[in-house]
Amino acid sequence: MAGPSEAADATTTGADWRSGLTDTVVRSLSAARAATGELASGLGTALPALLLLLWLAVTAVTSVVGVGLLMAPAPLRTLHSLAARERARLGRRGPEVVAPEPPPTRLRPALVDPTTRRELRWLVRHATLGLALGLLGVLLPLVAVRDTLFPLYWKFMPGNMTATSVGYGNAHSWPDALAVAMLGLGWVFIVLGLGPGMARLQARPGRQLLAAGPETDLSLRIVELTATRAAALDAHATELRRIERSLHDGTQNRIVSVTVLLGAARRMVARDPAGADALLERAQSAAEQALAELRTVSRSILPPVLADRGLAGALSGLAANCAVPCRIDVDVPARCAASVEATAYFVVAEALTNIAKHSGAEHATVTAYSRGGRLVLCVEDDGRGGADEDGGSGLTGIRDRIAAHDGTLSLTSPTGGPTTLKVELPCGA
Amino acid sequence: MEHDRTDTGTNAGTDAGTNAGTNAGTRIVIAEDDALLREGLALLLRAEGLDVVATAGNPDEALAAIDEHKPDVAILDVRMPPTHTDEGIVAAVEARRRRPDLAVLVLSAYVEQSFATELLGGGVGGLGYLLKERVGRVEEFLDALHRVASGGTAIDPEVVAQLFTRSRQDSRLERLSPRERDVLALMAEGLGNTAIAERLVVTEGAVHKHIRSIFAKLDLAPTDRVDRRVAAVLRYLEDLRRLG
Repeated sequence: MAGPSEAADATTTGADWRSGLTDTVVRSLSAARAATGELASGLGTALPALLLLLWLAVTAVTSVVGVGLLMAPAPLRTLHSLAARERARLGRRGPEVVAPEPPPTRLRPALVDPTTRRELRWLVRHATLGLALGLLGVLLPLVAVRDTLFPLYWKFMPGNMTATSVGYGNAHSWPDALAVAMLGLGWVFIVLGLGPGMARLQARPGRQLLAAGPETDLSLRIVELTATRAAALDAHATELRRIERSLHDGTQNRIVSVTVLLGAARRMVARDPAGADALLERAQSAAEQALAELRTVSRSILPPVLADRGLAGALSGLAANCAVPCRIDVDVPARCAASVEATAYFVVAEALTNIAKHSGAEHATVTAYSRGGRLVLCVEDDGRGGADEDGGSGLTGIRDRIAAHDGTLSLTSPTGGPTTLKVELPCGA
Repeated sequence: MEHDRTDTGTNAGTDAGTNAGTNAGTRIVIAEDDALLREGLALLLRAEGLDVVATAGNPDEALAAIDEHKPDVAILDVRMPPTHTDEGIVAAVEARRRRPDLAVLVLSAYVEQSFATELLGGGVGGLGYLLKERVGRVEEFLDALHRVASGGTAIDPEVVAQLFTRSRQDSRLERLSPRERDVLALMAEGLGNTAIAERLVVTEGAVHKHIRSIFAKLDLAPTDRVDRRVAAVLRYLEDLRRLG
């Protein structure tokens, strides 16, 4: 009995080991890809940094004879805007770099301003070390690919073009070519192993020197955060009001009807049993309506499918159930706030219902993607168009929900089609 | 068999008749935006022998119906289109302005004390403010309707309870004994001495004694008129709320 089970264990371990290796490879490949992207984007600020450094040097030298003093504000302004660009870049690829207060633009205070001085120190490092790392980060993967694939193409290259990437000797034979390929593999491992470290090294001066120092007043930042938080709370309150209203004016009224009908039936039961039974019948159907409305309300708060399968899964489910063939394309890597996802879900649900009921379309397309902290939804169909928001469609309620989240909705539907509904929502996560 | 059924029917009819008799022929306008509930109410009241002369789904229709049909009582829902907030209260106040002798019974999905205050601010005679679900307790509802129709008051126990909770910290109310507080609550609902005695299972004399004691402790001059008693109680509680 022990034998087979051990063998089975061994197989499992083997499979585990293999999947572990695959995992490691996938992880380091994606880390290297991210690092290369980051180094390349660092190049985007490092090259201007070098030019700016030269400009500043020229300004400083000419200042000695007085002319430069007049030109100094322009490169300083450029320095501030470049630093802002770097903060934004670092913020997109990692934790936010909180900007200090805007530095003074007049020359004399600028020269003693700590923010400006820190930005200058960053400029020097980024224009040199950052630039070098950026160039390496872009060139190394290219060289790695070129060398690794060398045996595949060296035969077709003219002799003088087969120089090795280390600039030493030319490859003339298969052993030479294989050696170049080995060299290429070496580059690959260097990219995989050192890439992430290089990216961190390139980002470090910016993270240290461009962030607000401990001495900086963060009140501006606090004001900004307070405003966004107030807006979020406002959206929340609107949403709560909507729920409260549907409970009070819908469900509660149904249940009151039940008690009214029951009360009437009780009064009638001795006098007119048949009439009482009719009332009880109505009471029962009112109770069933109350249940249905309660279900709708709780679903409208948060559809269970969103929690189970996420936005992509929930939208695919909607598309699959749509009577009109529907193509769906969801690219929303990070999860949004639950209420935003719920709103997105209802937008698409309502739009698809309208398409199935009114448009006469043969195909529909749903696209969802996130960009710059906003979730964008687009629902299109090839139907007859002429859709009208006031025409009894559920769009009015949807519009209220979107407004509560500070989003936008636009509907274009010329007669003859096509109809496009576009909705943008702040992700709020 | 046939005879039997007729007999029972007649009996039941007389039975209901005693209750409806107090209300019979009362002309009513109902304003309620929920169609099912509106029809349910009309059905219930008609079955009780009341004369529902018109129903309305919004305040404008309600006011028009009141002008046209000159009912004895208007039953108004608080939340109606367009904003679903206090349209019913506004309509009630307006209807009373046009016809001060119109009895108005306001039905609300929940207790909002400011609504009660707004409604009762100009005097409480012929006014009622009840939670919607009270309608299901038909006998009590008809009783309240009758009270309002004949110039009395019907305030929901919930409203009274809320007024009490808010003014509990006041030392003058603290002076009341629990029994006196019960009596005051029933007075505020609009019940007369006999009804209070029945509810609390005491004699009318005892109720009289409690009421005199309450008026003395709250520094209110005693009077016999039901609505003035309630007015006094409510105004007093309302003053406390404003001050607190």
